[in-house]
Amino acid sequence: MTEERREGLPEPEKERIRKELKWAYDFDPKDPLFGLSKADLRGPKMSRRTVLRLLAAAGILSMGHLLPKPMGRIAYGQVGGELTAGWAGTGEIRTLDPAQINQVLQFQIASNVLSGLTHINADLIAEGDLAVDWTVSDDGTEWTFFLREGVRFHNGDPFTADDVIFTFNRSKDPNQSIHSRVLAQVESVEKVDDYTVKFKLSAPQASFLVKTTERASGRALTIVNKRALEEMGPEQYGLTPVGTGPFRVVFHQLGQGVVLERFEDYFDPERPKLDKVTIIPIPEPEPLAAAIEAGDIQLIGGNPVAPELVDRFLANPELVVDIQPGPGFQALWINPHREPFPVPDFNKPVEELKKERGFMVRLAIAKAIDREDLIRRALFGRGVPAFGTINPAMRFFFDTAINETSEQRFDAEEARRLLAEAGFPNGEGFPTLTLKTTPAGRREAEILVNILKKNLNIDVEIEIRDFPVLIDEFDTMDFDLLRIGSGGDYDPDDGLVDWMQTTSKFNGPNRPSELPFGYFSEREVDDLIDRQRVETDLNERKALVQRANRITSDKVAAAFLFHPVDVLVYRKEVNYPPESRIPGLVDLDRVTLSP
Amino acid sequence: MTRYILKRVVHALLVMWAVATLVFFMLRAVPGDPLRAMLFDVGDPQAAEELRRKLGLDQPIYVQYALWLGRVLQGDLGNSIYGSRVSVSRILKEAIPRTLSLAGLAFLIALLLAVPAGILSAVKRGSLWDHTFTVLAFLGLSMPDFWLAILLILVFAVHLQWLPAIGYVPLSKGFWPWLSHLILPAIAVGTAFSAILARMIRSAMLEVLRLDYIQVAWAKGLPERRVIFKHALRNALIPVITVMGIAFALLMAGAVIVENVFAIKGLGRVLIQGILNRDYPVVQGAILVVSAIFVFTNLLVDVLYTLINPRIRYEE
Repeated sequence: MTEERREGLPEPEKERIRKELKWAYDFDPKDPLFGLSKADLRGPKMSRRTVLRLLAAAGILSMGHLLPKPMGRIAYGQVGGELTAGWAGTGEIRTLDPAQINQVLQFQIASNVLSGLTHINADLIAEGDLAVDWTVSDDGTEWTFFLREGVRFHNGDPFTADDVIFTFNRSKDPNQSIHSRVLAQVESVEKVDDYTVKFKLSAPQASFLVKTTERASGRALTIVNKRALEEMGPEQYGLTPVGTGPFRVVFHQLGQGVVLERFEDYFDPERPKLDKVTIIPIPEPEPLAAAIEAGDIQLIGGNPVAPELVDRFLANPELVVDIQPGPGFQALWINPHREPFPVPDFNKPVEELKKERGFMVRLAIAKAIDREDLIRRALFGRGVPAFGTINPAMRFFFDTAINETSEQRFDAEEARRLLAEAGFPNGEGFPTLTLKTTPAGRREAEILVNILKKNLNIDVEIEIRDFPVLIDEFDTMDFDLLRIGSGGDYDPDDGLVDWMQTTSKFNGPNRPSELPFGYFSEREVDDLIDRQRVETDLNERKALVQRANRITSDKVAAAFLFHPVDVLVYRKEVNYPPESRIPGLVDLDRVTLSP
Repeated sequence: MTRYILKRVVHALLVMWAVATLVFFMLRAVPGDPLRAMLFDVGDPQAAEELRRKLGLDQPIYVQYALWLGRVLQGDLGNSIYGSRVSVSRILKEAIPRTLSLAGLAFLIALLLAVPAGILSAVKRGSLWDHTFTVLAFLGLSMPDFWLAILLILVFAVHLQWLPAIGYVPLSKGFWPWLSHLILPAIAVGTAFSAILARMIRSAMLEVLRLDYIQVAWAKGLPERRVIFKHALRNALIPVITVMGIAFALLMAGAVIVENVFAIKGLGRVLIQGILNRDYPVVQGAILVVSAIFVFTNLLVDVLYTLINPRIRYEE
C-alpha cells in the first residue's frame, strides 16, 4: 500500500524518502540506544530523527512514515454528540481491567478509559501520555519518567508517582494480573518524587517504551486507581474501571454493553469531542451489517469484520471502509509425527529432506494450496498470501520475495509429482486425513479441502472443535492437520520466538513425552531466532529474520496460508481522523460527528 | 393441596440437585481446558497453572464438587472463570429479565395468534379460514427462526426503519424503548410456537366439539359464544396447557439463536457461551436456573389443571 503511494510522488520527494530511510537505519550497531543521545530520547516530542531511529530499531519503519501527511483533513472542531458503536463477533465485554484483558476487543474500549505513561500514535510511535518527558541512562537500563501534573482520575483522585508504583506492583503479581511476565525485564521501580519515577531494567530494551509503558501492547502498565480498586473490588472494577482517560465508564452490564461519557477533567481540554459513546456487543455478522446500514450503530469495533461483509459495505455510499495491513498469519499445521507425512528430523538440508517420503507429502500439501484462490473464495479477496510468520504490518522485515522463492510456492503439477513419488500417484492409496478447525473456521476449511482435492485428489475430512478443545489438541499434538494462526504480531519476535523455535510456547507444550519436539524443530532456525533477538543492527537483524523465515517456509514448519487485513467501518457522518487510525485499536477521543 | 405442592417442591429440589450433579461431572468429562483457552493469546502456560491453583481447579474433582455444593447451599453460585470473574448470580440476575421479557412477549404473541386461529379452524372446519390457517401454520413451522429473524430485521429495521435492528433496553428505561427492541425477536421466536399451538388447539377443539355434552349444549339453544368458549374451549385446554408449559420453559432457555441474532444476552446464550468456553461455574449456575424453570413450570401446569377442570383433584 505504501509502495503504491510512493509511485505517484515527484522525483525529489522520492529521493528525500530514500535518503531519510537510509540515514535512519545507519547507526552504530553495538549501541543499545541506537545511535541516539540521551537528549534525543527525551520526551515528550522526540525529534523526527529520533523517531525514525526508534522506529527503525523496533523494526516498524516504512515509507509510510516519511510520506507527506494526507491533505484536506476534516475540521475536528465540532464538540458533542452521541456515538453508538457495535462490537463485532462478541456477546459481551468480559473485562476492562488491564490486568485481566486478554482480547484486543476489550483493549479497544479500555484504551479510551485508561491511560499509560506513553501511547502509540498512528505512525506507531510512542508519545507522552501520562508522562510528559523521559530520560534514559547511558547504558540504556535506567528510564526516568516525568509525570504530567494536575491529572485527575475519574473519581477525582490526583495522579502521582504512587499510582505508577501501585500499578507496577499489581501487574507484577501473578495473582492479580495475567501479564506479570511482561515486566520480567524490570528489576525495580523507584519513586524519585511525586512526579518522577525511575525504572531499572536488567538489560537494555529498545522496545521498552512500546512494550511496557504504552497503553495498547503494554497492558501491564496501564495506570489503575488504587482507591477505586479497593472500594469496588476487582470484579466491579473490571466492569467499570476508574482511570485517567478521555472517557469514563458510566454503565456496563455483561452482554448489554458499555456506556462511556466524556470526562470533563481530562488533562487535554481539547479532547474528547464526543459527549457519549454507547458500545453494544453484536455476536452475529448479519445483524451487525443490518445495524450499521440502518444507522442503529455508526461504527464497528471489536473482532475483525466478517470478510463476506466488506464488499457489501464498500458498495454502500453511507459507509466508509478503511483497509490497512493487519498484523498476523494463518497456517495449516501438519503433524510431523504421523503418517503419511512423518519427518523425524528437520535438521537436514532441504534437498536431502526432499528425498524422504514423509517430507515429500508434507511439501506436496503445502505446494498444492493456491493461496490466491483460497483468499478469493474464503476471504473475498481480503488478505495477503503468506509464506511465513513475518507479516506486512512488520513492514521493514516483510519481503514479498519469499512468495517467488519459497519451496512452498503454489505449483499444482510439482505437488502432484511429489505425491506420486511418495507412492500416491494421483492420490491413489492416500489415507483420508482429518482437518481440525473451529466452528467459525468451517467455511474456510471446506474451501481448503476442496483445493487439496482438486490439486492432489486426496480426501480430507473436517472435524469441528470448540476453541478450548482445538487448543488442547494443538498443544498435545493430537491432529493430522489443524487450522490455527496468530494475530497482533507487530515484531518479528511475535512470529518467530512465539511459534518457530523448538521451545516456542505454542510448539506442542503438552505433547506426549515420547515426542522429541512439537510441530517443528530445527537447530539453525533456533539459533537464528536467538541471534536476531539481541541483534541491534537492523540490517543484520533483518537478514537473520528473513533467513529464519525462509527456512521455516522451505522446510514446511506449517503450510502458511494468508495474512489478514485490518478493516475499520463507520458511517459517513463519523469523522475518524487519520491520527487516530491505528490498526487493531479504536481510539475515540478525536472522533467527531457531522451534524 | 398445600401438602401436595410441598411434596412437589421437595421433588423439584431433588431433580435440580440431580441435574446439577450430573452436569457438574459431565462438564468436566468434556475435553477442553478453559484456562489455557483464555490465556492462549497471552501464551503463558505457567500463568494458566497459577490461575488454576487460584481458582481451585487443580483440586481433585470430588473436592471441587463438595466445595461447590457447599457454596451453592449457602446461595453462592461462584464466579465466572473469565475476565474480571463476575459472579454467576450477577450474570444470571442480569440475563433473566431479558429472557423473561423475550419469552413472555413471544408467548403472548403466540397466544394471540394461535388461540383465535385454532378455534376458528376447528369451528369452521374445512372452510377457507381453516385452509388458510393450516397453510400459515405449516409455513410458520418450517421457517427457521434465525432466517425469519434476519428477514424481520431487513424489512422493519433496515428498509422501513420502524424498529431497532438489535439490542435490548430494560423496562426501567421506558415501555416503548423496551417493547420496540423486543417486538422483532418476539415475533421470530413466537411464530413457530404459535403454529404448533394453533394446530394443537384445533385438534383438541375438534375432539371436544364432537362430544355429546356439546351437542346437548347446542340442543339447549345456548349461544354459540357460550358453547365454544365456556363448554368446548375449557375442556380442550387441558392438553394444550401441558404443551404450553413445556413450551414456555423451552422459550426461557432455548431462544439462543434468536438471542444471538438480536444481540440479546439471555439465559440461553449465557448457557451456550458458558459451554463453548468451558466456563464451569456459569454453566452450573445456569443449569440450576433452567432446571428450576422446568420443574416449577410443570408444577404450575399441574396446579392450573385444577382450576380449569374442577374434577381434577390432588390427594390431600
